[in-house]
Amino acid sequence: MKEYLVKKAWQLIPTVLGVVTLVFIVMRLIPGDATSHMAGDNLSGDALNAMRERMGLDVPIWQQYFNYLLQLVRLDLGTTMVTGQPVAKLILEALPVTFLISVLTVGISCLVAITLGTLAAFTAHKGKKLVDSVLTWITMLVDLMPSFWMALLLMLLFTLTLGWLPATGSIDYGDPLGLLRRIALPLIVLCMGQISTIARITRTSVLEVLNEDYIRTARAFGAPQLLVVFRHALKNAAMPIITVAGLAFGSLMNGTVITEFIFSIPGIGSLLIGGIKMRDYTLVQSVILVYSMLFIVVNMMTDLIYRYMDPRVKY
Amino acid sequence: MKWRTERRRGWSGLIMAAMLLLAACSGGNEDGNGAAGNSGTDGTGNATAGEAEAAAAAEKVLRIRYYDDPAGFDPATIFRVENENIAFNLFSGLTSYSPSGEIIPDLAESWETDDNMTWTFHLREGVQWQKGYGEFTAADVLYSYDRILDPATASPYASEFANVASYEATDDYTVVIKLKSPDANFLHVVANYHQGQIVKQEAVEELGDQFMWNPVGTGPYMIESMKTNSEIVMVRHEDYYRGPAPIERLVFSIIKDDDTAAIALQNGEVDLAMRIERTELLERLEADGFSLNPLYDRAVNLRIFNTDVEPLGEVKVRQAWAHAVDWASNIAATNPMGDSPTINLLPKWMEVYTDDVPVYDYDPEKAKQLLAEAGYPDGFSVTMHVRSVEEIDQLEQENLRAVGIDMQFEIVEAAMYNQIRNDGSFEVSGRQLPAINPDMILFSYLHPDNIAPNGLNGARYDNPELTELLEAARAEIDADKRKSLYAQVQRIALTDLPYIPRLSANGFWPGFDYVENVVINPLSQVNFYEVDMTN
Repeated sequence: MKEYLVKKAWQLIPTVLGVVTLVFIVMRLIPGDATSHMAGDNLSGDALNAMRERMGLDVPIWQQYFNYLLQLVRLDLGTTMVTGQPVAKLILEALPVTFLISVLTVGISCLVAITLGTLAAFTAHKGKKLVDSVLTWITMLVDLMPSFWMALLLMLLFTLTLGWLPATGSIDYGDPLGLLRRIALPLIVLCMGQISTIARITRTSVLEVLNEDYIRTARAFGAPQLLVVFRHALKNAAMPIITVAGLAFGSLMNGTVITEFIFSIPGIGSLLIGGIKMRDYTLVQSVILVYSMLFIVVNMMTDLIYRYMDPRVKY
Repeated sequence: MKWRTERRRGWSGLIMAAMLLLAACSGGNEDGNGAAGNSGTDGTGNATAGEAEAAAAAEKVLRIRYYDDPAGFDPATIFRVENENIAFNLFSGLTSYSPSGEIIPDLAESWETDDNMTWTFHLREGVQWQKGYGEFTAADVLYSYDRILDPATASPYASEFANVASYEATDDYTVVIKLKSPDANFLHVVANYHQGQIVKQEAVEELGDQFMWNPVGTGPYMIESMKTNSEIVMVRHEDYYRGPAPIERLVFSIIKDDDTAAIALQNGEVDLAMRIERTELLERLEADGFSLNPLYDRAVNLRIFNTDVEPLGEVKVRQAWAHAVDWASNIAATNPMGDSPTINLLPKWMEVYTDDVPVYDYDPEKAKQLLAEAGYPDGFSVTMHVRSVEEIDQLEQENLRAVGIDMQFEIVEAAMYNQIRNDGSFEVSGRQLPAINPDMILFSYLHPDNIAPNGLNGARYDNPELTELLEAARAEIDADKRKSLYAQVQRIALTDLPYIPRLSANGFWPGFDYVENVVINPLSQVNFYEVDMTN
């Protein structure tokens, strides 16, 4: 365990350096710089050069890269080029809401999807094709609906027609009930996307386990059918489900860009998109750096849960 | 059994960790807001909850949709109209704009000039800075202009003062500005916009690069607090020289998507929505009884031809293009509320606007004939750079194909689009320049000094006759003569046609009808001092 963590920590260094360098290069390969966005419709020529100078874009690229690395070594994420705000502060402000939404999405999706998936597998195993196909079809249909379209439909229904949930508003952690109402619609949209994937994986792997000898043995001993399925079968089918849920959590943490945009949520996805749009190199580099570290941590946690679930797993 | 309890403990640990992180971060948030917010509202923090609620009930709060992340409000570096709208309410200039776009006195009570060269401004006495920064004097004007011109500020608006020879304060309430050459439109240069906005030296020096987020001005509203990329709260300046504004507090809520903004408005989550321009949404809101608060002819949208590119250098080819496209019907078919047809480079409300210019009606036969005369009887191929292909662009493409012009789109995203237009490295492109000063449009597009990449003359248009008239118009003191010179400029520009006026964009700020007097000025800005709520 300890060895594993130490090994992983060492691997972090080249990974982070690689990410930093790659993002640095890619950002500069995209045509245009921060001034091109600021230019809008009415600036050009000398005005743009003045701006470029102010943002330090006039120094050679290798020097910009070196300065950036030096800054990272000092554990300083710097300030945004365009708006002069400390990047670390922006990220810390954007992270909680994205984290909350990601945790709730994965939690709710797992709860619903595992139940549905297990039921589908169980009925399929019993030869009741109808329930299985209905469940499969529903999850597929939900999966096919574009999230922006679904978001709009949900808003029309829950906000305008029923008046139950707000479409916008500020994120206020002091008012948990209000906060829950505020993020309810984005949660539904995001869960829809996750439930179908997790349910399908659950169905497949539970179905596989249900054919194992020990399940038949358990049944032969007279254990209640649902107990066998939910306790013995599901536990043994858990590994692929954990993998998918872990990946889902990682990618949700990395910003739920469209959902955040539509529901005006000031999360990490909004921050990144804003940065890319403005070509704010410092902001984008730092956000992606934090992203990749988060992803690595989530992966490590998934690995640890593996070990915990199945002691046979060795690293 | 053992397995189950341990597993539960694992989950609760994760949830605990989540809660802790949230608590830590939200705590930080509140601290940040408190620090930024308290400066303007001393004492309210000590009020009991009951008193605060009573105060809130009596207080008028206007909630407004804001459509993008704010990018700072320092006049020296500000950009984009939504940020400029905040600054317009925060700062003052020597002059300002009335809701209909006329120059009105602001920090200067009056002014005089004999020759459009030497301008004397008499400043208002007793004007108070926001947040207790004392009284405004001529020294603040000098500091603000020095700061714009200081290379260390790197202000993109420094060039607006290029024609200024000197400025001085003859006493605390008089500023004299001398120009290098006469400029009849000089009052626009010192107006409450960009370089013309007056800042306070002490505030700028204390706050450094954070001044853009904690600006201090002399306008009717000041920043109270901000939640990053979520909310901007402005509170009225009680000592504003015209008296406090009718509405105590403005809460700008950042809603980027137009559909969401319309729903938020219909659901009463905001009272007023800054800029919604899609016809279908506007129709829905209008049917629901919302006031649309329109500004017609916000800015003219142009088709730009790079005249260095064969065959776009030929006048007849450009005229053929204008005749080939059914501009008016295309607008009616795509966005009839958001756009209006137009015939001129200048918006109709400008004083020097004339409709006595060549008009290019939809006439495909004439277009074909002009193409043949120019030596292109079979048409030609050309590439147009766009950010996205709108329906109206596709209709234009269809119209052009009918006369033999094969126009292909090259889609690039916003930053690259701007860069290509600034470099002038395109064949055909577009631009929409909102301006209140006719020179801003005519000099930018037509003067040879501004040929791309030095300026916005992306057509690379250079007609000495027009240049001479344009410079004469700017210098002319007699209003009628000036108007006639500008009319000649417009006639030549629309004969040579380096740019085709495609459409005139309209602006809308839909809102509840209890939000009164929302007037968008021709710079697409609302002066919230004029707005009131009657509910």
